[in-house]
Amino acid sequence: MTSVLAIGLVLVTSLVIGVYGVRAARSTSDFLVASRRVSPNWNALAIAGEYLSAASVLGLSGLLLKNGLGTMWYAVGFAAGYVAVVALVAGPMRRSGAFTVPDFAEYRLGAPRLRKLCGLVVLVIMLLYLVPQFKGAGVVLSLVSGTPYWVGVLLAGVVVSGSIAAGGMRSATYVQAFHYVVKLAFIAVPAIYLVVHAGPETRAEALNPEWGTHFPEATPVEFTVDTDFSLDEPVTVTTPSGDGVELSAGEHTVGQGTEYVFPEGATIPHPDGLPELGSERWSTPLLDVGGYPLFETWSTLLAITFGCMGLPHVIMRFHTSPTARTARRVAVGVIALLGLFYLFPMVYGLLGRVLTPQLVLLQGTDTVAVVLPAQAVPGSVGTVLTALVAAGAFGAFLSTSSGLLLALAGGLSHDLFQGSVPRLRLAVVVGAGVAVLLALPAQMIDINVLVVWAFTVAASTFCPLLVLGIWWRRLTLAGAASGLAVGAVTATGAVGWSILFTTPAGWVTVLLAQPAAWTIPLAFGTMMAVSGLTRPPDWAEHAVLRLHSP
Amino acid sequence: MLGYGQSVSYRWLSRISPSRRRPAPSEQRAGVDLMRQVHALSVDLQDGLHGRGVFSAARRLSRLLAADGVVLADLDGPVASHGARFDADDVAGLLAQVFEYGGNARRRLPEGASVCAVPLTVADELAGALVVSGRPAEADVEAAAALVSDALDHAALRRTRDRIAAADLRTLRAQISPHFVHNALAVIAALVRTDPDRARHLLSDFADYLRYGFSEKGDYATVSDELEATQTYLELQRARFHDRLDITVRMAPEVLPVAIPFLVVQPIVENAIRHGLERKEGTGHISVSGFGEGPLCVIEIEDDGVGMHPDLARSLLAGTGPESRSVGLANVDQRLRAVYGPEYGLVIETAPGEGTKVTVRVPRFTRGVVAQ
Repeated sequence: MTSVLAIGLVLVTSLVIGVYGVRAARSTSDFLVASRRVSPNWNALAIAGEYLSAASVLGLSGLLLKNGLGTMWYAVGFAAGYVAVVALVAGPMRRSGAFTVPDFAEYRLGAPRLRKLCGLVVLVIMLLYLVPQFKGAGVVLSLVSGTPYWVGVLLAGVVVSGSIAAGGMRSATYVQAFHYVVKLAFIAVPAIYLVVHAGPETRAEALNPEWGTHFPEATPVEFTVDTDFSLDEPVTVTTPSGDGVELSAGEHTVGQGTEYVFPEGATIPHPDGLPELGSERWSTPLLDVGGYPLFETWSTLLAITFGCMGLPHVIMRFHTSPTARTARRVAVGVIALLGLFYLFPMVYGLLGRVLTPQLVLLQGTDTVAVVLPAQAVPGSVGTVLTALVAAGAFGAFLSTSSGLLLALAGGLSHDLFQGSVPRLRLAVVVGAGVAVLLALPAQMIDINVLVVWAFTVAASTFCPLLVLGIWWRRLTLAGAASGLAVGAVTATGAVGWSILFTTPAGWVTVLLAQPAAWTIPLAFGTMMAVSGLTRPPDWAEHAVLRLHSP
Repeated sequence: MLGYGQSVSYRWLSRISPSRRRPAPSEQRAGVDLMRQVHALSVDLQDGLHGRGVFSAARRLSRLLAADGVVLADLDGPVASHGARFDADDVAGLLAQVFEYGGNARRRLPEGASVCAVPLTVADELAGALVVSGRPAEADVEAAAALVSDALDHAALRRTRDRIAAADLRTLRAQISPHFVHNALAVIAALVRTDPDRARHLLSDFADYLRYGFSEKGDYATVSDELEATQTYLELQRARFHDRLDITVRMAPEVLPVAIPFLVVQPIVENAIRHGLERKEGTGHISVSGFGEGPLCVIEIEDDGVGMHPDLARSLLAGTGPESRSVGLANVDQRLRAVYGPEYGLVIETAPGEGTKVTVRVPRFTRGVVAQ
């Protein structure tokens, strides 16, 4: 209940800031004051606030618990993306005056049809990014209020479209900046409290995992989905009715809705296909899901780092900076803010491995940050901490998805159809509706898998378009269009295939699940090859020159 | 003209099929193909004899006439050629002959071929010549020359149209300034005796404003620049209103760098003061707010003045309102439409006694719109 209240509070506060905040912060009787730009720091706060999504708040700690220490590379990539942004696109993008990637495409290559193609890609990326946000919101809402998952997702959709309609349309810098502070505070305070409260033993165990992990106390485990797991040694569990059930060593299949209470000290059964908690595979600091750790790590890192530059809602934030120089300064500020934030999901992941290992068995690792405080600190303090984290996660959901939804609606109404304001509102509702529908069957897919999918598509489409568009004079319309098409189809298709169908373990699976390492070069190659066959327009030189002249 | 066209078409068709009696559908196909060729020729020549398409036009003409070679020349000499190598002296001689006497010129070559030069006239003036070598009849070459002349005429008209549009924009821009200059000087003149210090401040504000208004930097400014210019204007107006003018500005920082046409905000504020607040008793209030709306940038200027009848507002935008109020809103509206397209004009919400709200809604990015 406390958590529901806290979530409501975050929602109301951000609505109030959205509607009145601009007024309070920027209301003046003087045009000179009003025409002064906000400082780069505000801008950086706003970008970080919009960028830190459910993937960062919930997904990272969950994936750390499930897949091991290698997950930290995700955080590295999320922050390093801005290094690429600073180095390659922030300044020139600002000089072009373009607000969105389709705008840039039109500026650089001057073709309305390419704009439509870009609008389509924006749609794909934004939907792929929205689905995990709605999933996160649904999981958190259903966790704290006890409603089924689909109610949570639906509610999240209504809340976001409602808040945009009530004034969030103004995508105000201050609302997003406020959300960064909320997220940081609501994640950091409980994390620090938990670390202090956990005591030296737990801390030591979190840092030096012993092989195999045991339930710290008698733990009830309710299976919400059919689960296969294996046991190394026999264990006697009790059902809610009090009967003892002897589970022998070996493979077990448990049906949906079963509830077992595992005794204190029992070894935690681990689901098939996942690294054993605390095992060597878990502790190796590389991403290892399909058996080729080095390739998987590189591919994910490439996807996230270069994907960041192609994310439509990130790029449009740099439009706010008055000059190219401040745009770069803003991006540097964002790196610092993100670096600070990403310390905390790691805390939840590491502590979660010691205190809530049953989540792996339940396939509910995305909830570790919300479940952990109550588990670690019983009583009212735990409730308050849970409420804080839940509110932080919801804030993350709210700010990111309203930014995403606006970018999506803008693309839909402005790039694909000639837009008017009612159309823009309609597009928001349609976008939210489609995202909710797609999020309903996505309960079992990890948030970060979906987010990295969106990043992969962005890295294989807009990243080459922007990088070549800015740094290569000979890019042509045909080259850009074919590169975009190839990148979008391969990246979307490969990951989608690996999620929807099971493929035999080995290289094929890895290449499909982590395709960035081959789709990015493929998109770059296609763009350059096709551009080489066609002639750039006469004014291309001038257009590129303007991107780089101070 | 029609007769020439047919004779050209016959020649060209005969290359496709030697038979003279062919079924109607294929004849019709060939006719359509020909129309396409002629259209393509006029597209090639849309930038005149000095555009990029002139070489492709020479190639196309050579194919249409089944000629050995074609040269397109302006008054200074050949600009593009296709096909057989021409003897430079030959061509120069023919051109000199054409330009001197205004008629056709012809030189026989061995083996029955010839080189033929026909003048190109644009708006009844000699603009160049078409030189064709091979066996085409002189009449055929004349027909082709007529086609090229028409295309060149179109190109000239198109350039004129662009120039007129640009001149219109400049005129509209210039219209605002004298209007305001008069008002401002009147205000300052009124203050010179009673409050010389303030008059001096206002004069320097006015100088700043003029520098902005008359600057030759381009047609666009950022929202932020526009706001600063509006401030100067308001200082001048406040002096006139003896400070019974209350202003609130709310700007979301994300729209400040957006490029918009020069002098959009100030004329609307001016209109609000002159026609909304001037006739109102007591303190008047104006609020200017700007925010982003997805890919759009919105600026709203609202006053609580006397308002007007919606029909009057409509006629103001249409430019058919009373003479004294015709400058300002209609001008801004026209320029916005000219730059962004018809759907981005001004929106006025008003009623008598209810104040007026004018909304500017423009895309944050439009190709070609860049603040200098």
